[in-house]
Amino acid sequence: MPPPGVISPSYAYACTRFRVRRTTLLPREDYLRIMRMSIPEVLTHLGRREYGQEIADLAHDFTGAQLIEEAVNRNLAQSFRHAMAIAPGDLRTLTGEYLNRWDIANVMAILRGTVYDIPRRQVRDLLIPAGEIDSALIDHLLRATTCDEILEALQDWRLYQILEEYHRICGEQGAFARIENELYRQYYADLLNLGTSGCSGCQELIAYLRFEIDITNMRNLLRLHCAAEACDIATIDRTMIPGGRIPIELFRRLYGIETEEEFVSAFLETSIVPVLAQAVRELRQDPNFSSFDAAELVWQRWHQRRRPVHEIEVAVTRVRLHQLEGLSRRHPFSVLPVLAYLERKKYEVANLRAIARGKAFGLPPEQIWQYIVL
Amino acid sequence: MPIDDIKPTRSGLMLVRRRMALAERIHRLLSMKLDGMMLELVKLTEQIARERRELEEKYSRAREMVAVAAMMEGATGVLLAALSVETHPTYTAGHKNVFGVRLPELEPVMVKKTLDQRGYGILGTSSVIDDAADAYEDLLEAIIASAELEGGIKGLLDDIERTRRRVNALEFKIIPELEEARRFIEDQRDEMERQEWTRLRRIKKIKAKRG
Repeated sequence: MPPPGVISPSYAYACTRFRVRRTTLLPREDYLRIMRMSIPEVLTHLGRREYGQEIADLAHDFTGAQLIEEAVNRNLAQSFRHAMAIAPGDLRTLTGEYLNRWDIANVMAILRGTVYDIPRRQVRDLLIPAGEIDSALIDHLLRATTCDEILEALQDWRLYQILEEYHRICGEQGAFARIENELYRQYYADLLNLGTSGCSGCQELIAYLRFEIDITNMRNLLRLHCAAEACDIATIDRTMIPGGRIPIELFRRLYGIETEEEFVSAFLETSIVPVLAQAVRELRQDPNFSSFDAAELVWQRWHQRRRPVHEIEVAVTRVRLHQLEGLSRRHPFSVLPVLAYLERKKYEVANLRAIARGKAFGLPPEQIWQYIVL
Repeated sequence: MPIDDIKPTRSGLMLVRRRMALAERIHRLLSMKLDGMMLELVKLTEQIARERRELEEKYSRAREMVAVAAMMEGATGVLLAALSVETHPTYTAGHKNVFGVRLPELEPVMVKKTLDQRGYGILGTSSVIDDAADAYEDLLEAIIASAELEGGIKGLLDDIERTRRRVNALEFKIIPELEEARRFIEDQRDEMERQEWTRLRRIKKIKAKRG
């Protein structure tokens, strides 16, 4: 292991490979071209790029938008497994920890499928083995008939202790939602812990993660607030992810506010406002949109008990990704190029899926374009 | 007793008159019921037209929401959220009485759910899933409301048809037949009376000749 401050050759090599891989992702011009194509043309176009193998493999079972979605998901899984393979040392640990998100989704789908007795084939089609849990273990989990069998097979998983804690209530009403929330809370806690290890770019990584937590918490608070029945403080505590820049106490306080002045002044204190204002400025092409306007916008949604505007959520993601890429350029031999590649790849797949689904539903290209993260 | 078997006697005439009064009363009541049911039908038809328009709007909205959800989360994400449903929506069926007609009354059960009741974890999903779930819950409620009204209209139409047949049968068959029977009996009785009178007069004449 190299001494602190010295970057090992394998680390530099891996970071360079991730930066090179980043350049193989679809450029903006390609998206503009794809937007003008029909679904079969999109399939042909993607078939000529790195998705060719997956499309050829899956063409027997799926068609149209479904084929595109399945192919890009499979490609995502393969790319992430490859990323795990080339990442050395703590980069590998970080990549594994980051990809745990997919494992959580897969494990929860398998648990639910087992308890609700859903055909295994149907559950298998929903899984994206992009995490650390490989296809062989997933197949083994799919053969299980009870929660206990699944838990036994998952003893080596990073988040096993959460499953173990809740396994008694497995199958009870609302239990899966609680387990899922706890798994995601632990996921973020583990990622933040990893960030404190003092690795190169870890400070920036923590800042990025903390902001992601803030955005997620605020979005979920809006979701809780727009429900017909008011939820109790315990629900907020269970739903909010600790570790963000905004303390959970502020979210608790925000939940109880019903006057505009109080809400706007409390919301202006948060670090979300500048990013939100920038996102709306870019989305609406309105250079005069200020932080105060952003706080007012959130208040309007809050007051009307409505959920966040999806186009603005996507615009915020765009701004965050740009910031992450700026950081990864400033710290070329750190965890940030890895994270930037993983995030970009995730959104490339999301973009292709959005285009395919949008075209399948006959949505106008201008509307589809608003959901593209570039 | 069939109308043809009634004898042209005083008791037969009274029987026909009683039947006639009863038929006319039933005819009046059924006509009133028919009018009432027609008014109810018009009201329900307007309501169902409104409900149907709302249903179509809600269907379009639900399609749009699921399209946005499929775009943002993928069909996989939407299906994973759907997989989490713990309590399936259903309805209870009762009935209400309108002019003696049993119309269905459907009550949605566990259609509108809170975030907790939906079964998916809030941290593993995004607000598009909530929007899609909300839109489909609204759609399901509209379908149940629409089904209740359509079932009611169907029941009401069946009963209107049945009642109209009864009213027509009374108006164009039973009452005219009873009327005819009454006239026949009265004619017969008049004839018998005239015969009796003629007979008595003849006897009186014979007695007078002999005397």
